[in-house]
Amino acid sequence: MIIKQVMPAIRDTWGSRLAIIMAVAGSAIGLGNFLRFPVKAVANGGGAFMIPYFVSFLLLGLPLMWIEWTMGRYGGGFEHGTAPGIFHSLLRKNRFVKYFGVIGIFGPLVIFIYYTYIESWTLAYSVFALMGKYAGLADQASMQAFLRGFQGLEHNAHFSSMGWAYVFFLVTFFLNISVIYHGIRGGIERLCKVALPLLFACAIILLVRVLMLGTPSENFPERNIINGLGFMWNPDFSALKSAKVWLEAAGQIFFTLSVGIGVILTYASYLSRTDDVVLSGLTAAGTNELAEVILGGSIIIPAAFVFFGQGEMQAVASSGTFNLGFVTMPLVLNQLPWAGFFGFVWFLLLFLAGVTSSVSLAQPSIAFLEDEFDIDRKKAIVIFGSVAFLLCQPAVFLLGRGVLDELDFWGGTFFLVVFATIEVILFAWVFGMDKAWDEIHHGADLTLPKFYKWIIKYVTPLFLFFILGAWLWQEWGGIILMKKVTPECRPYIIATRLGLLAIFIVLCALVKIAWRRKRLHAEAKP
Amino acid sequence: MTAGGLILMVVSWATITALVVFCFGRIFRQKDGETEK
Repeated sequence: MIIKQVMPAIRDTWGSRLAIIMAVAGSAIGLGNFLRFPVKAVANGGGAFMIPYFVSFLLLGLPLMWIEWTMGRYGGGFEHGTAPGIFHSLLRKNRFVKYFGVIGIFGPLVIFIYYTYIESWTLAYSVFALMGKYAGLADQASMQAFLRGFQGLEHNAHFSSMGWAYVFFLVTFFLNISVIYHGIRGGIERLCKVALPLLFACAIILLVRVLMLGTPSENFPERNIINGLGFMWNPDFSALKSAKVWLEAAGQIFFTLSVGIGVILTYASYLSRTDDVVLSGLTAAGTNELAEVILGGSIIIPAAFVFFGQGEMQAVASSGTFNLGFVTMPLVLNQLPWAGFFGFVWFLLLFLAGVTSSVSLAQPSIAFLEDEFDIDRKKAIVIFGSVAFLLCQPAVFLLGRGVLDELDFWGGTFFLVVFATIEVILFAWVFGMDKAWDEIHHGADLTLPKFYKWIIKYVTPLFLFFILGAWLWQEWGGIILMKKVTPECRPYIIATRLGLLAIFIVLCALVKIAWRRKRLHAEAKP
Repeated sequence: MTAGGLILMVVSWATITALVVFCFGRIFRQKDGETEK
């Protein structure tokens, strides 16, 4: 057998320390910061929710952030940018550990195939806001009909097909691909340098506008912005006795920081061995919290309260994050002067939050092809783009059949917690806590307090086991047996599960092929 | 808005702002130091 002699390509690097902080923060700041967080806070004790939220941040979010930054940088030193190679670098003697790392490519790929479609809705709505396409709609039912018509779930006076949705999906998909095509420094870094400040500017414009709402209707003096903030922040300390509230807070911290996906591993693999990870990880996490708690927590809920009042707000808050973003918020903004402009700013904010996250989701698959198969970036992007485009189609066309929710459960929820648990066990227990502690502090600009050694080794894994156990206990049976799925949707859900299993098996096979290829290559060397 | 809500909001905002200012402050101070060298 002739083994092709391949020169490994020089790996891309970040242009500056701020660049990777912005890229990781951009990956973490997503739609959830502005839509999911305020809903969770209102439903789980208001201001009191911040107590379990901050505890989870310190015991779960930050340790996982540092673990992923450190593991990524360590693996990058061996020219591995994705979890299979990074896990293999940590435990070279074990042949199977690399297969656990497949989740770190599978998860982001699965999220990418539905997240890009949702992101395209925000782009479409920002254009619709400028065009005044939904300007005349004044109630929840008509705005709902507009959304359902756009998504192709029904034909109505607003949309006769899902043509517009598909056009915006194509634009968003190819925008993502073109950013990734330009590489780490020329694509992702440049995007984040522009998009993140712009995102904060949009959020601040909306925050100032919301805080200036005062009391819009004299007929309802209690519907004022102070009470709106109170609706979000007034504490219900009795909620702290509920395990569910602690679980929700831990879940929110987990998802908001983009840990357990595999993206941070890949981004950190482009660091050099002497680059700091402690201060950089803390800065990225802090920037995400700024966007979530200060900006995300002060825009949508107070604004909706001022226009709908306390009675309707309970229904609005429990109507789900999509309704809040695509139905309630446009209705609120429609009642303001310059409605088109503020609607545009709101959806541009969501689009920027989405695009900085989606490009990060594509990177692990591309890094895997580049690092483990020595494929050059452009070819890797063509392969990834073609496969991802095909995989996106069920999420686009079978939205009403529950495919998107199913993908979100496996790719965006379940496997994240599983992967984070594997990471922390591997890092703190298998690699060894003493070595891990030294590795974290290599080149560090901050020294972590000693008790974090104990937290990373014991508290974070226990916290993750608790979350995983509680989910399995509460939801596993219902989800596996599809108890909430209607009979006509079941075949689609089963097909989605089989499809996901096939993707996972193919990725495992690719890992096997890549390592065999490397072994043969090493043996062929004189 | 109750006093409890106001306190929790202000403390949360202040904590996060302080964290971000501390982090970026450290980074930019080091960056300036490197430039001076």
